[in-house]
Amino acid sequence: MTVMPLKFRKLPVGDLLFADDAGGFFQADQEFLHRYALGDLTDVDITFLEANGHAFHELGDLSYAGFEYRFASRLYTPGDLDYVILVPTLRCDLACGYCQVSRVNENTPGFDWTDETLKAVIRFLDGLTTKMIKVEFQGGEPLLRLDVLQEVRDFCRTRFDKCEFVVCTNLQDPSDDAWEFLEHDDVFVSTSFDADPGTHEAQRTITAAKTQQFLGNFRRALERLGTDKVSALPTINPHNPPPARSIIDHYASLNLRSIYLRPINHQGFARKKYDARGSASTWNAYYSAFIDHLVDYNWIAEQTVEEYYFVHCLRRVLRSGHNGHADLRNPSIVGSGYVVIDHDGKFYPTDEARMISRVGQFDLAMGDVFTGISRSKIDELNQEASNNFHPDCVHCPYQPFCGIDLIDDLSRYGRIDLPKHLTDFCQKHTGIFDKIFSMIYSSDPKVRKSLAIWSGVPNFDGSIGKRLQ
Amino acid sequence: MIGLRIQIDPLPLVEPMVVRLRDCASSELTEHDAILIDRQGNRLEYDFNGFSLVVHSDQPEGLDCDVVMAVPGQTSAHRLIRATSPHNTFLVTEQCDQLCVMCSQPPKKHHADLFAQFATAAILAPERSVIGISGGEPLLHKEKLFQMLENVARLRPDVTFHVLSNGQHFEKDDVKRLIDIGTDKILWGIPLYSTDPETHDRIVGKDGAFRSLERGLGILMQAGASVELRTVVLQQNRDHLGALADFVFTRLSFINVWALMQLERIGYGRMNWTTSFLDTSSDFEPISTAINGTVARGISVALYNFPLCSVPKEYRQYAPSTISDWKRKYLGFCARCDARSACGGFFEWYSHDQGFSGLGPL
Repeated sequence: MTVMPLKFRKLPVGDLLFADDAGGFFQADQEFLHRYALGDLTDVDITFLEANGHAFHELGDLSYAGFEYRFASRLYTPGDLDYVILVPTLRCDLACGYCQVSRVNENTPGFDWTDETLKAVIRFLDGLTTKMIKVEFQGGEPLLRLDVLQEVRDFCRTRFDKCEFVVCTNLQDPSDDAWEFLEHDDVFVSTSFDADPGTHEAQRTITAAKTQQFLGNFRRALERLGTDKVSALPTINPHNPPPARSIIDHYASLNLRSIYLRPINHQGFARKKYDARGSASTWNAYYSAFIDHLVDYNWIAEQTVEEYYFVHCLRRVLRSGHNGHADLRNPSIVGSGYVVIDHDGKFYPTDEARMISRVGQFDLAMGDVFTGISRSKIDELNQEASNNFHPDCVHCPYQPFCGIDLIDDLSRYGRIDLPKHLTDFCQKHTGIFDKIFSMIYSSDPKVRKSLAIWSGVPNFDGSIGKRLQ
Repeated sequence: MIGLRIQIDPLPLVEPMVVRLRDCASSELTEHDAILIDRQGNRLEYDFNGFSLVVHSDQPEGLDCDVVMAVPGQTSAHRLIRATSPHNTFLVTEQCDQLCVMCSQPPKKHHADLFAQFATAAILAPERSVIGISGGEPLLHKEKLFQMLENVARLRPDVTFHVLSNGQHFEKDDVKRLIDIGTDKILWGIPLYSTDPETHDRIVGKDGAFRSLERGLGILMQAGASVELRTVVLQQNRDHLGALADFVFTRLSFINVWALMQLERIGYGRMNWTTSFLDTSSDFEPISTAINGTVARGISVALYNFPLCSVPKEYRQYAPSTISDWKRKYLGFCARCDARSACGGFFEWYSHDQGFSGLGPL
């Protein structure tokens, strides 16, 4: 019998966590580590490792093939290009201190798609091979260019079998025509609601009148479009975060059951105003406490609440093939499944790539709509975008669940070869996975209840978190 | 019960004949179509290529587009395809190399080869039909079965199959054929009862069955085949379901669904009822353990043949209505139940005095 290579880590509480390359995991003590390292496994060890999928008898047997299957389905492979993020304008009617997207003032000329840009974008969409398309409108404030949104939508509806449109809007001042646009069945709204009215005002709207204007529009969107068509994100300043309970209560009172906490991003203008470097440990402490608050809330709440990214990471721990989120993939191949088209018609592989190009750090543009996509530069980056054999990741038990984000590394450190454990991405994700495993191995019924809801199962019993006795 | 045979006036046949019954002529007729020309009560007379075909039927749903097979010397025809039903199954052989304690269709030595007729019937089936293939063990006649599947896949790409097999007769060379037929064309229903080879082998009555099933499942995985893993829950494997859940996750993550099935009280299942039937209405814990251990890890699970009132509320979402229309019944108290329309009820041959102890209207 052969045991698959095992990686291990001391958990904050309890024993060592072991994991293999396919994401199979278990807890065991220091003595097992010695036996494993010295090749001195007992019959009990061997029976356990075999039953739990960490060992095989001969190459190609069902244990081996099952392992291979789980390993392979954790790898992300991009499909057809079927998702475009369009930035028809950089103009915005708000000037949030942390703005991540390098906006310009509402009346500034020269930051909108021209008629030629729009025509070229439509030509580009027409050339796609996919039958289904998802179009996300970003900005600036995309509703300032409702005419462009309408034209793109009308074209997509005739060209594709199935369309979905997402408008990322601040909901500050939509016109009657904009509301009409948002109310269609194939249109979804993504907006920002920073924790609670007070925080929202301090970070976004500045004046009480504008705050009330936003809240009125936000409630109207939730009532008229429904909570399944409206999502909202709170952007959090890790150094001055709002109380967790305030966010949970305000979101729950609006019947928003999924909260996606976003720390202020070290990109765009945000990097000038906030000290976002080196804030991972501050963030991790806040995030962990936030999850604890959710667990307490869910224990007695009729309508339970989740933190979107935590649930995503939890499911990546438990399952293979959970690659639906662009922020956490391995290999993290960009510029293929989706692209961003900026206000000047340039293609970018991701929104973050657009931002670091705009502030002049690196030029990660991949051609433009007039001359076509050019992948050579991005493909060079893609060659490095895997954590499987990365020298800093090969010893980490979280590697199969984790991803890699070279564009984030470039943005923060100007290089992709900083030792991983010094990067914000690694520190934040290590914190999340530590939290997840402390919960998987918790016998607290409150924790079990939230884990059951978040992993989509009637009861989260002890059979998931195996322990070698 | 819905009849799976209909009476016909004797025909001078030398070999089995497949006929599609049509209420009126349409433009898409084939040489296998018979057109209704006269109806008097239950007597229906069809014109079949100039010959008279007389059928006696009291089926309320009618027979239009049904495909029937007349066999020499028999006064009833097999209703191979009931056009209005989603439950059509071809019993391709009664031979089997296992003797399972729960077998609902105990094997016979003799094999009547009707693959050509079954292929014809499948080609005449209504659009997007799902046709069940059952036995005995269909793969004992693998070459003919594969030829049939290949033919139908070529001529009727909209038709798909659900094949029940013990999964022990696949070879490496079959991978290419399975891929060529199309992995979305066949859902293989493969039974696995325990991770303990001895227990599995004892339940299926065949030494070495577990090991050769492991090989077979490996080949299906390699082919990217669609698989419905089937586990009948029994007293014999009650304590093995938790370990089986781990096995399904670690070895068989590729499957489409893991079906945990209640016992059917017919054939050997009736004979072995008292020593095999697991009353999950009073002892659901092995089932909940199996569900919790797999669903959280991304495996789809379904409970087949579980009356909804036998399942705790939070697990009812996994119990679709699965008992085929022609062998389904409801009990007296079902008349007062609000969940009846979503519930598959009971097998026609279920006997309540020996059955579930904890049932009642929802």
